[in-house]
Amino acid sequence: MRSAYLYLGIGILIVLSTISLFTGISHLSLATLWSDEEMRDILLISRVPRTLALLLAGSAMSVAGLIMQLLTQNRFVEPSIAGTTQSASLGLLVVMVLAPSAPMIVKMLIASLFAMAGTLLFMLILRKIVLKSALMVPLVGIMLGGVISAITVFAAMYYDLLQSLGAWINGGDFSGVIQGRYELLWLVGGLTLFACWVADRFTVAGLGREFAINVGLNYRQVMLLGLSVIAIISGIVIVVVGALPFLGLIVPNLVSLVMGDNIRKTLPWVCLVGGGLVLLCDIIGRIIRYPFEIPASTILGVFGAMIFLCLLINQSRYAKH
Amino acid sequence: MLKKAAVTVLSLSLAFTLFGCDKQKLSATEASPQMITIAHVQGTTSVPINPQKVVVFNPATLDTMDALGIKIAAVPQTSVHFPAFLQKYAESDYVNVGGLFEPNYEALSNLKPDLIIAGGRANDAYDKLSEIAPTISLAVDNHDFIDSLTLRTEQLGEIFDKQAEAEKQITQFKQKIAAVKARASDQGTALIILINGGKMSAYGPGSRFGFIYDELGFKPATKLAESGTHGNIVNAEFLLNVNPDWLFVLDRDSAIGNNQALSAKQVLDNPLIHKTKVWQDNKIVYLDSSALYIAGGLQTYNQLLDQINQVLGQQ
Repeated sequence: MRSAYLYLGIGILIVLSTISLFTGISHLSLATLWSDEEMRDILLISRVPRTLALLLAGSAMSVAGLIMQLLTQNRFVEPSIAGTTQSASLGLLVVMVLAPSAPMIVKMLIASLFAMAGTLLFMLILRKIVLKSALMVPLVGIMLGGVISAITVFAAMYYDLLQSLGAWINGGDFSGVIQGRYELLWLVGGLTLFACWVADRFTVAGLGREFAINVGLNYRQVMLLGLSVIAIISGIVIVVVGALPFLGLIVPNLVSLVMGDNIRKTLPWVCLVGGGLVLLCDIIGRIIRYPFEIPASTILGVFGAMIFLCLLINQSRYAKH
Repeated sequence: MLKKAAVTVLSLSLAFTLFGCDKQKLSATEASPQMITIAHVQGTTSVPINPQKVVVFNPATLDTMDALGIKIAAVPQTSVHFPAFLQKYAESDYVNVGGLFEPNYEALSNLKPDLIIAGGRANDAYDKLSEIAPTISLAVDNHDFIDSLTLRTEQLGEIFDKQAEAEKQITQFKQKIAAVKARASDQGTALIILINGGKMSAYGPGSRFGFIYDELGFKPATKLAESGTHGNIVNAEFLLNVNPDWLFVLDRDSAIGNNQALSAKQVLDNPLIHKTKVWQDNKIVYLDSSALYIAGGLQTYNQLLDQINQVLGQQ
C-alpha cells in the first residue's frame, strides 16, 4: 500500500517537472520539439537545468532539515534557524571581500566551512545549556543566527556590499539558472543519496546520545557526518540559488506527521515532497507575473509560513503521539 | 458702533504691519539676503538667492550644479562612490555630511548651511533637514524627463544667479538629444537591463533608466510593467524571446565600485544570449553604470548621449 502512494508521489513529481519544462517565455511544443533546433536548445540550455536545479536544491534542503532535526532531537530546527545558513552567508561575504573573482567552487568551499563552524557552535551551545522546553532549541538557534547575520550585515555595510550580498543570498531565485550555472548542485544530489544510504545511523542518533552509544553507534562520528552533510548542502545551495526559507522545517514535519519517524522509510518522501514543493513555488513564481518572475523563495515564504503556523497550532495534539 | 470698532482694528493692525516692515527693512540693510520661492518635489520653500554655504545630498543635482560651476560647501561622503567626473567631491576640501540615505546631523548643525539640496536617496530625511536650513529637493521626474531636467536646471540658475549659463547648457543638451534622436529613431527596438549579483532585471519606459526609450526614440522591445527602482526580474530566455535590436546594460556591481564581482559581461556570456541578435550583431552597449546609477544629472546624460552617438556611428 505504501509503495502505491510512493508511485503516486513520483507521478505527481513527474507531472510537475513536465509543467516546469514547458513553462517559460518561449513557447515549446512537444510535437515539434525534436525537429526544431531552437526549441531543443531552449529546453536543454534553460528549462532542463532549471528543473533539475529546483529538484536537487529542494530535496537536499529538506533532507538537511531532517538530519538536523534528528541530531538536535528537536522538530523545530532547520539550517536557517540554527545559524547554518547565516554562517554560510558570512563565508560568502568573506570570499566577496577577499577574493571576489574566485571561482564558484572556492566560494562554495568557504561558505560550507563557515556553515560547518556555525553549526558546530550551535551544537556546543546546546550541550552547555539546560533546556527546559523544546522550543528553547529553535530560540537558541534563532538568536545565534541573529548574531551571525548582524556581523554579516555590519561587514557588508562596511565594505559596501549590502545590496550585492542581498542579491546573492535573499534571492532563493532560480532565474539565473541555465546550463553551466547549476552543475555544483549535482554534488548536493550526491550528498542526499549518501544521506539516504546512512539513514539508519541518523535514526539511531536521533534517539539520543546514551541510547546510541548503548547500541554501539559511534555517536561522535555520526554527529560529525551529519553536520558535514548539512553544512555542505547549505553552503552549495546558498552559493548557487540563495536561501530557501522554511523548507527544511515544514517538509520533514509534514512527512513525519503522515509516515512516522523511521527515516529509512521517510527519506524518499522528504526528497519527493521537498523537490516538489520548490518546483511548484517556482512554477507559480514564473506564471503569476508572466513574462517576469517572482523568486521561488518569496512564494515559498508565503506557503511555508502558513504551513508552519498550522504545525505550531496543532503541535500539542501532534506531540502526544 | 460696529463700524467704528472695525476701523480701529484695521488701523491698529495696519500700524503694526508698518512697524513690522520697518524692522525688517532695518535688518535687511545689515546682512539678510534676498529670497526666492522654489516649488520642488517635496513642497514650496523660500530660499536665499546666492547662498554661500550649500549642502548637496542628491548626486544627480550635484552633477548638474557641477556643470553650472556652482560653489558647494558640503556633500555626503560616507560610503559614496562618486563617478569619475565628480571624484573631486570625495576630497577633504568638502565637508562630509554623512551618507546618501542618512545625513550626519551633527556635522550639518556645526556647518550652519544657508541651503540644503536633498531629494533622491535623502527623501525621507527632508523634515529633519528642513529644521536645520531651507531644504529643497530638485529631483527630476522620469515620466517627463527633458522638461523636468530643464526646469530643475533653470531653478538652479535662478537660485545661484547663473541663468545665462543654465540656458546655454540646456540649449546645448537639447540639440544633442535631437541629433542622437535623429540617428536613433530608425534603429529599431531596445531593452535596458540591470545586472546585479548574477541576476538580471529589465526597465521600461518612464522608469528610472527609461530615458533611452522616452527621449531617444528607441522603441521598447516589449511591454514592460511599471516597477520599483530595481526593475522586473527576467532571465536569459526572456532576452532571447524579446530579441531586441539593441541591449543597454547597467552593471550595478561596477557602479558601486565592486569591479571584481561577477561582471555583467560574464553573466551575458552564455549559450542562450549567444543566439540573440544583439550578441551576433555586437549591439550590446555597456553604459557608464557608475554615473547613471549614482548621479544622473546634466553631465551624466551628456556623456550617455556621447556614448550612444558613438556606438550608432560605428554601425
